[in-house]
Amino acid sequence: MKLRGSCESFCPETETKMRIKEKLLNFYEYKNGQKNVPGLLVKEFTRSAAGVVTPKVKDMRTEECLVRTVEYLFKEICLDKRKPFRFAYDFIFDRLRAVRQEIVIQEFDSRQSVRLMEPMIMFLAYSLYTLSTEPIDNFDPKICQQHLQECLKRVLCCYDDLEKDPQTESLRNLQRRYFIEALYQIFNLGVFEALSRGLTLPLHVRQDEVFKLAFNISMDYHRGHLYRVLQNIPTLPHIMCSLASLKMQTLRRRLLALFSHAYHNKVLTVPVTYLIRLLVLKSPNVLFQQCRQYNITVSKDRTAVLFYKNDYNGDINTLKSMHESFVNAKLERINLPEVLLLKKF
Amino acid sequence: MFGTVNNYLSSISRAAEACDGDTLGKFLSLRDVHVQNHNLYIAQPEKLRNSLKPPLDEIVTAHLKVLYYLAQKPPNYMEAYNQQATSCSSVVKLLQQLKDENWPLPLMYRVCLDLRYLAQACEKHCRGFTPGNILEKAADCMMGCFRVCAADGRAAEQDTKRLGMMNLVNQLFKVYFRINKLHLCKPLIRAIENSSFKESFPLPEQITYKYFVGRRAMFDSNYSMAVEDLSYAFAHCPERFTSNKRLILIYLVPVKMLLGYLPRKSLLERYDLLLFHDLALALKAGNVNKFDEIVHHHEIVLIRSGIYLLVEKLKFIVYRNLFKKVFAIRQTHQLDMGDFMSALQFVGVTDASLDETHCIIANLIYEGKIKGYISHAHNKLVVSKQNPFPPLIAT
Repeated sequence: MKLRGSCESFCPETETKMRIKEKLLNFYEYKNGQKNVPGLLVKEFTRSAAGVVTPKVKDMRTEECLVRTVEYLFKEICLDKRKPFRFAYDFIFDRLRAVRQEIVIQEFDSRQSVRLMEPMIMFLAYSLYTLSTEPIDNFDPKICQQHLQECLKRVLCCYDDLEKDPQTESLRNLQRRYFIEALYQIFNLGVFEALSRGLTLPLHVRQDEVFKLAFNISMDYHRGHLYRVLQNIPTLPHIMCSLASLKMQTLRRRLLALFSHAYHNKVLTVPVTYLIRLLVLKSPNVLFQQCRQYNITVSKDRTAVLFYKNDYNGDINTLKSMHESFVNAKLERINLPEVLLLKKF
Repeated sequence: MFGTVNNYLSSISRAAEACDGDTLGKFLSLRDVHVQNHNLYIAQPEKLRNSLKPPLDEIVTAHLKVLYYLAQKPPNYMEAYNQQATSCSSVVKLLQQLKDENWPLPLMYRVCLDLRYLAQACEKHCRGFTPGNILEKAADCMMGCFRVCAADGRAAEQDTKRLGMMNLVNQLFKVYFRINKLHLCKPLIRAIENSSFKESFPLPEQITYKYFVGRRAMFDSNYSMAVEDLSYAFAHCPERFTSNKRLILIYLVPVKMLLGYLPRKSLLERYDLLLFHDLALALKAGNVNKFDEIVHHHEIVLIRSGIYLLVEKLKFIVYRNLFKKVFAIRQTHQLDMGDFMSALQFVGVTDASLDETHCIIANLIYEGKIKGYISHAHNKLVVSKQNPFPPLIAT
């Protein structure tokens, strides 16, 4: 017998009462500007553990209510500028986890799960990029990546399940799927498992333009054709582009390692303008930073670089990922909630 | 066969008393003729009176139920699978009971094999679970058998259940390859490699084992290991198993190509694999366009056999051969980068830019496929006077 929630508010009554009484409200759950006045509460994530009673029907939300909860989080909290984004992230991350938990407890079918989880994937991908420059104490990319991968795999399984059904999907739903399938390719760049999936997907997915672009990037990565990977990443759409850009520093490093061998010469130099173009960097200074890190000599007049294969430092850490200007330009132009909810592409 | 149920049961009882694992395996197989006997389709075989000792009676009961569910119209694969899984866990019990005896191993092979077939049928015909889930569960059941076998360390070499390990490992490989969970193969390989009598497993099992281990090494980009294992499998597989030999070649040929060995046409002809001959010709000629065309044309075959990604890795060798031709034409050690770009454009990379050409050459130099360096200022590739394009076998 499947459990079905009956609660129509973001937070079940029992939890609301308890948390108000015990003063366990998050910053985003207080009424704006008023201290200690509860505003809108959203159900917290609690670990299911031994000794915890199975949740009652009234403590679980209906599917529609879960959809509204996700929309509320993205439309209101995500855009809340009172505190830095990482606070909003922590709050939303926890509340989405509670939503995911309910998907499992209530045994939602593939269609229902997909509808709720696709926006979560978008949010995690967006956060991974936006918070990538934060120190580890503020944001742990590992956990975020792990959740992103889990959500992606779950949704992909749902797609496969839905594919068994001859019932035709709406164009909108298909578009959402194409975007997520492409995002999976980008997140798992050149990974065998992802590439094999990409190769065996139904033709209608493989023929989608965005998917094709993402898949070809991953394939070029597999072939070792880094030039194409670097040049094509900036042509990806918004969130996908931001996710891909997290690999830029590794890609640049690998290309610089190649160049240290290929342009290996004590006298000959390679112009800065050329390298900036190939490495998709916005200014010479960023290039010099790369050179410093990997021990590559810059000429005295700072217009060229000297490659020498024995100098290149292969043991040092790759530079931390940064906010890329080509991504930021894209992100500035989007309506974030609409994109996260996959209402606009 | 057998006529009545009682006749069937007493035959089983006799086989068990004689410790005849092969016959017992046959009597509990889904491929034996007895499965066509309608008298054996029984919904509740527990009610039959029989003299079989537990847990053999459980195995037989479950087997009869499997027959019953498969005889339904349409067949109830899901229930049949569940019963087979019960049968499998009873086999585990049977094996645990027997100390210093391994005669039921053929029975175990049979039950596990049928379990895998039924799991595959469920994946194909039933819905409402994530793909690969049933197969994974079947693998868990087989792991139960595997653990009993692997733990039997005290028995003498001819009586040890450890002799059953390789057969199970091969079955598990088949599942893991099918559901794309290759990382699960690692502990199995370790168990086999560490076993003291690795060489005493039957040859057919060793061939299958090497075939899968070789394929796994290939996916791990461990190409020399892959060649070693696959070559062993190919060399030892008897001539009469043409389709198996062909299967091995499908992996062996492209891996060897990646290491710089081109296949003989006569060999490919014999095994109906001329696709690789065409591919080798394009590769040799450095004809990128032709190469892509062949790959595209055989895309489905390449994807199905799981070598598409490997073949794609040959791309840089195609570039290397193309550039070698440029060198042969120009006959100089200072080669213009523009020539390489024109060559790329000539063979179908119409959008190739000078930047891209630089990057491709840089890649080849880094991998040691070209000896030399690029002078950006003069836009030239300066190649070594000795052996500028070393043979791939050496690199």
